[in-house]
Amino acid sequence: MAVLGRRDFTRGALAVAGAVLSRLAPGRALADPKKGGTLAYASVSGPGTLDPHVSSSLVELEVIHNVFEPLVTLDNANATKAMLAASISASPDCKTYTFQLRKGVKFHSGEEMTSADVQASMERYGRVSPNAANLAGVDRYETPDPYTFVVHLKEPNVVLLDVMKAPIFPFMILPASQKDKPARGIDVVGTGPFSLGEWVKDSHLVLNRFDNYTADITSPGRDGYAGRKTAYLDSVRFRFMPEATTRIAALQTDEVQLVSSIPPELRGQIEARPELAIREIFPLGGTYIIVNSQYGLTANRTIRQAIAAAIDIGEITEAVGGVNKPNAWMSYPNTPYYPGEKTPSPWYDQKSPERAKELLTQAGYKNEKLIIETNGNYQWMRTTMLVVAEQLKAVGMNVDVRMVDWTTNASHMQQGSGEWNLSTTLFGPEHILGPQQWRPLIYAFANIKGDDALDAAYKGFFSEPDLDKRRELWVKIQEEVLGGGYFIKIADAGRLWAYAKKLQGQSDYPGILQLWDISLA
Amino acid sequence: MSRLIAVRVLQAVPVILIVSVLAFLLITLLPGDPAVVIAGDQASPEAIAAVRHNLGLDKPLIEQLGIWFIHLVQGNFGSSLMLNQSVLSAMGERLPVTLSLAALSILITLPVGIFAGVIAAYYRQTWVDTLVMTLALIGVSAPAFWIAILSILFFGVYLRWLPTSGYMPFLQNPALWLRSLVLPALILSLFQIGFLARMTRSAMLEALGQDFVRTARAKGLSEWKAVGKHAFRNALILIVTAIGILLSTAIGGSVVLEQVFALPGVGRLVVQGILARDYPLVQGVMLIYGFAFVLINLAVDLLYTLLDPRVRYD
Repeated sequence: MAVLGRRDFTRGALAVAGAVLSRLAPGRALADPKKGGTLAYASVSGPGTLDPHVSSSLVELEVIHNVFEPLVTLDNANATKAMLAASISASPDCKTYTFQLRKGVKFHSGEEMTSADVQASMERYGRVSPNAANLAGVDRYETPDPYTFVVHLKEPNVVLLDVMKAPIFPFMILPASQKDKPARGIDVVGTGPFSLGEWVKDSHLVLNRFDNYTADITSPGRDGYAGRKTAYLDSVRFRFMPEATTRIAALQTDEVQLVSSIPPELRGQIEARPELAIREIFPLGGTYIIVNSQYGLTANRTIRQAIAAAIDIGEITEAVGGVNKPNAWMSYPNTPYYPGEKTPSPWYDQKSPERAKELLTQAGYKNEKLIIETNGNYQWMRTTMLVVAEQLKAVGMNVDVRMVDWTTNASHMQQGSGEWNLSTTLFGPEHILGPQQWRPLIYAFANIKGDDALDAAYKGFFSEPDLDKRRELWVKIQEEVLGGGYFIKIADAGRLWAYAKKLQGQSDYPGILQLWDISLA
Repeated sequence: MSRLIAVRVLQAVPVILIVSVLAFLLITLLPGDPAVVIAGDQASPEAIAAVRHNLGLDKPLIEQLGIWFIHLVQGNFGSSLMLNQSVLSAMGERLPVTLSLAALSILITLPVGIFAGVIAAYYRQTWVDTLVMTLALIGVSAPAFWIAILSILFFGVYLRWLPTSGYMPFLQNPALWLRSLVLPALILSLFQIGFLARMTRSAMLEALGQDFVRTARAKGLSEWKAVGKHAFRNALILIVTAIGILLSTAIGGSVVLEQVFALPGVGRLVVQGILARDYPLVQGVMLIYGFAFVLINLAVDLLYTLLDPRVRYD
């Protein structure tokens, strides 16, 4: 049985052979952090639930990742790193995973975390989480002693830890007493550096420093969502403010010190003041044009490829503004599955009206209507699709742009319903987590059915134990998804935050809000 | 009087029933799926289906309506899908914010709006009338969203007199409660003042032209008595009607201001509920609002009987 310590585990898990990998550099250290103070943070809206097993929205995860902790998580380089586990080992056939737990870790209730809590949490996850399908391969759990937790699988699974480190629907550990609690019905008790204080829905939420927090002293400092976490702030007050102008006004008057989601056009209001600053959180996700492969014109592969050929990414990103960088792939650079800049990606940013016209002629296009569906809630989506509409009109397509609200737009994309050919969205953690997380989204959003090449590539991926060969298969999958015109990649995108400069020590890791290791001067 | 109240309450029952069925149909006929909102933008179809099943949204529409009505009869307004909280409790937490805002704005509106309307009518077709009506027109026409943003920047950021946003419950700190609401209440009352001033002017102009006012002046009554007592009292029927409408719009009109000033009120709750297709929440709120508007109308009807003895309902 190969033993992996508290190290970068992604490559270890992916390679399964289990070499111990090097510790990654932690985030920037504080010069002289001061303990105490209350940080007021203005975010767009408040959480509906703080049940980590059913949470996927950012506003919920911003609280959850500071209150709860998982067995394994992402480090500063997006590799897998143990958090509540002290070490993890996998059997050679990848059917058994053994987690040695850290000793002395306390819940906010004061009880020590043991393997019974871990088992109860995993069982609850399998019962209530929308992501429970990822545990379908579990045969049984075992807790031979209070600090050992064993997962026995029915079939080999080389990517189990990659699944368990996901920041959405996170596999957080709750006290065993929460095992039978319904979805969204838990007591908010975790092991994280902050505990839940007052929560008035739609108004504010307060997190207090957990003074009995047991930090991971084997790490030199913070490391993504992992590492040694130190809470300096006495408390953090989340304030829910839907309007960007109001959030910025509150920052300017020092009513808050940290603000999320600054529209690019308002950036100047922050930068004009010497005591305030902008933080670019990049990459937050990748933006895509989604092509409905089961509706009308775009059921034709050649038409989809013609659309991809007509797209000029530069025009789109210039119109949208904000933080965007070109990337042809569905993985971020410096993540395990990124194919590299030299791998050919002829489908990306073709900006070739001639090629588009040629393909349309080849497909026998006869001025049939192409329906673009977008929404009024997200300006960048609306702008993107208006630019795309003009680019497609320029190659002679008959384009009809339809506006709906985001809920309708998202429902149509996720369920393949409605009448639309093109739409747009942003995908986030899948760019880090890899092909296994991408799979359901690729099939659902582009409404893919009966693509034998894609099915075969994915089948090969899941049965291939060698990481390099799996990387090659991931390139094949992308050649089919992007080259076949199901998705058209636009760019990797970031978001703008604003803060008062007296807030010090923010992590350079572009993940979900981390409140540890930051302080107020 | 008690018979009148009983009749009006009974008349309200079918209104409430129609409102509730309409609320159910309107929200469920909207495209979009609450399961998608709850499961997340990027949830897989399996995850969405699991959420839909857990929430009972995979049942036929008529069955969902039936279940909702059965619960309603039992006094159960259901639970919000996005808040995981009973609708009544969600409303109960937020209603004080909306009512505080509405009450403050009405307190500002009534004296200012009525006084402006009376003055405009008394000095009709003079510069006073023109000035008051121009200001009233601006109040009615200017977008509340735009005025709210400008006010935040001026009073909050530039002068630092008032907080830019947020809410403090009255029982925790009355002074901060007032500070947090004074700006949104003033902006909300701008529209109301404009509306009430125009209605009052119209009612007063009609009353001032009546024979009894001429008679009052002819027999030597002071202008104050002729206008303030005789004309104004006769104009009150229309003014009370306008105030009834204002009470309704004060509650409904708070939606935009609650968004801009980050006030955790019912208006903001409804907006979120509609965007998230939170069926039980929107249905519950619409039902309660419907009931509140019926009560307001009932109160206005009762006031008519006090103000005008000629009004006979029985």
